[in-house]
Amino acid sequence: MTVEAAPTQSFAHTGKLFNVLGLAFKNAALNILTLTLYRFWARTAMRRRLWSRASVMGDPLEYTGTASELFRGFLIALPTFFLPAILIFYIAPLFMDPTTAFWLAAGFYLIAIPLIAAARYWMRRYQLSRTRWRGIKLGLAGSAGAFAWASFGWQILQTLSLGWYTPVARMNRAKMMWENARFGDQPFEFIDDGEPPQRGLWLPFALGWFAFPIAYFGGIILVIMIVAGMAGAGVAFPTSEEFTPGVIIGIGVGAILLMLLLVLLLWAPYNAAAMNRIASLISLDGARFQLKAKTFPLFFISLAGWIITILSLGLLAPVGGYLQVRYVLNRLEIIGTPKFAEIGQSIVADSEAGESLGDAFDLDMGVGVI
Amino acid sequence: MQTRYADGRAAVTHDASAEFTADTLQVSVGETRHAWPYAELHRADDGAGRVILKRKPDTGERLYLSEYDSTRLQDAAPALFKPRASGVEGRATVAGLTAAAWSLAAVFLLGVPMAAEPIAGQVPPRYREQIADISWSQVGTFTDYCDDSDEAARILNDMAYRMMTASNVEMRDEVWITIVDAPFPNAFALPDNSIVVTDDLMALAEHPDELTGVIAHEIAHIEHNHVMKGIIRSVGAGIFFDIVFGGAGAGQMVAIASVNLASLRYSRGDETDADLRGLDYLDAAGIDAGGLARLFERFQEEADEEAPGASSIPTMLSSHPATDARAAAARARSRQGLAPSISPADWQIVRAACGAAMVEDVETPVEGPAPTTPPTTPSAPAPIPPEVATKPE
Repeated sequence: MTVEAAPTQSFAHTGKLFNVLGLAFKNAALNILTLTLYRFWARTAMRRRLWSRASVMGDPLEYTGTASELFRGFLIALPTFFLPAILIFYIAPLFMDPTTAFWLAAGFYLIAIPLIAAARYWMRRYQLSRTRWRGIKLGLAGSAGAFAWASFGWQILQTLSLGWYTPVARMNRAKMMWENARFGDQPFEFIDDGEPPQRGLWLPFALGWFAFPIAYFGGIILVIMIVAGMAGAGVAFPTSEEFTPGVIIGIGVGAILLMLLLVLLLWAPYNAAAMNRIASLISLDGARFQLKAKTFPLFFISLAGWIITILSLGLLAPVGGYLQVRYVLNRLEIIGTPKFAEIGQSIVADSEAGESLGDAFDLDMGVGVI
Repeated sequence: MQTRYADGRAAVTHDASAEFTADTLQVSVGETRHAWPYAELHRADDGAGRVILKRKPDTGERLYLSEYDSTRLQDAAPALFKPRASGVEGRATVAGLTAAAWSLAAVFLLGVPMAAEPIAGQVPPRYREQIADISWSQVGTFTDYCDDSDEAARILNDMAYRMMTASNVEMRDEVWITIVDAPFPNAFALPDNSIVVTDDLMALAEHPDELTGVIAHEIAHIEHNHVMKGIIRSVGAGIFFDIVFGGAGAGQMVAIASVNLASLRYSRGDETDADLRGLDYLDAAGIDAGGLARLFERFQEEADEEAPGASSIPTMLSSHPATDARAAAARARSRQGLAPSISPADWQIVRAACGAAMVEDVETPVEGPAPTTPPTTPSAPAPIPPEVATKPE
């Protein structure tokens, strides 16, 4: 007799902030003690904890990756990435003619674009292959090289279009990733619902695209209003002598922070819309997904993550990642039920190289990119 | 909550019952029985306190224990309730990582600096020039060329040459002083044995011996190859940060910045060494070290008055060791009654160069006897390296 749990919610994340914070502090302390070499163990422990608190139909996800796998990936990246980088950035400028050194560095940056995309793909392959639900593995088939070169092409189109190709590129990337994703032997699908995948993204994207000039001028106007208000109230700035360097730096830093805040806020509708749209196009064995991400909660979650990351000098970045994972999972629903009894164990080959370049490029916030 | 079993072949669970013997967990699923030795089990719990067991190596099978069975398991196999059973690393791992990290740090941050001197001595002139070109291009980004400083530069170079001759500095023919327009008082040596002096430093000096003391210090850095040693130390530290921290994040930023001229720092030992050797030059050339002492004292006073981090103190003066101690060391070598190192007429020319006198009001020209040692004749000037005879870019 098969038994299906009777879920009240298809997806849920029950992680508690203080529980995650405690582990993050422990990891931070050991990272400092080991000059960050502990980061592979820290990342593994954090993923294990976050995965175990994520439940699907009442049963938890399980992270089965090990720190030694990540460390092995790092050791693979040493000769293949770090040594060439050291040669290009340290040795070449000092001991080669400037033109050669310049072109070496330029070539490195150029190659880094598809390499970062490939690294992201490898990283996701590793993470999916180390994720299980009810003992069944997830996986990622397909070629990282194909994804890398396609991403490179989309990046060029994004550049040529001054960014306006971004919504299409984002959906293309999502399509390629999800069409190659597997749960056991069952592939996910990125369905065609008769509408362009980027439907509904243009307006929020336009808001984000204009975010910088809006934030720039908005920030200036707000600063002027604040200064004028203070002067009007007789609080400060009656004379130019009171514009000490400290005051000017304070106003400058405040204005920049304000601008960053506005940019983050104005990009939030696009990010929420894109996440919701991608979720709505994913299908597993006929079951569909629905995400109800909202602009303001997503903005505050992102803001909290950035503040925690910056104030902790990156040491507590996983807490920011946790907030996002929890937010998404608690707003994700499944419509319909896949025939789980017919979904067998994964036949996709496991990733053997850890996350190698993913670590080199710092592609996650110490949590994961699933 | 009942015990459930997933067979690892399909994404469903089955009702199961568990029995706990001395060394084996017996799992019954319908008519099928599985025997799992405790030694082969690991935990894969959820965050809600439910015990989930899996086998090692992983077969995909999972046993979701009920609360009752969890308690029985704890009695039967207490080892499964230790952190290690959940994959938490042991103390030996942390100790090993700590030892490895600090050993690497010792190799790069202690070993490389120790080897910096012999390595610096082996850098061929061609590479030294190449590194100097990079330094000059960086100097060009934050300074401007002075088109009215030739005469002042000649005066300073004559004075420096006289000082180096008195101390028999071997590379005295290679040292060349360039005056630049920069918004801060500073003097620094470059890998090609050039010394860059900013107009603000010249304006800040109230007596020629103060400026001469600073130049003597920079010549000592050149004579003892501190510049190349500093670069090698920085590159070693950069590579260390790059390897250990990894990634394109903070570690790599530190790493890349380490080859930047602005981030280069002499070690405390190098600074002390340059201080002492610089005072030797002054002694040998008959120049009063009291000027340098006064400069140190004045900067110490300014540093005390300024907000932390807002210092306009030259790099040479803001480095370790403490300025108080350096002032005292210079004061101890001071000799009264010596002529200023640059004549009043020449000092006026130096102060007026590159708009230096405009930086702040020029003090009354220094009064005193003519220099005790005549300046070098035009027939024996220091050679002008082509890259510094013109605009340093």
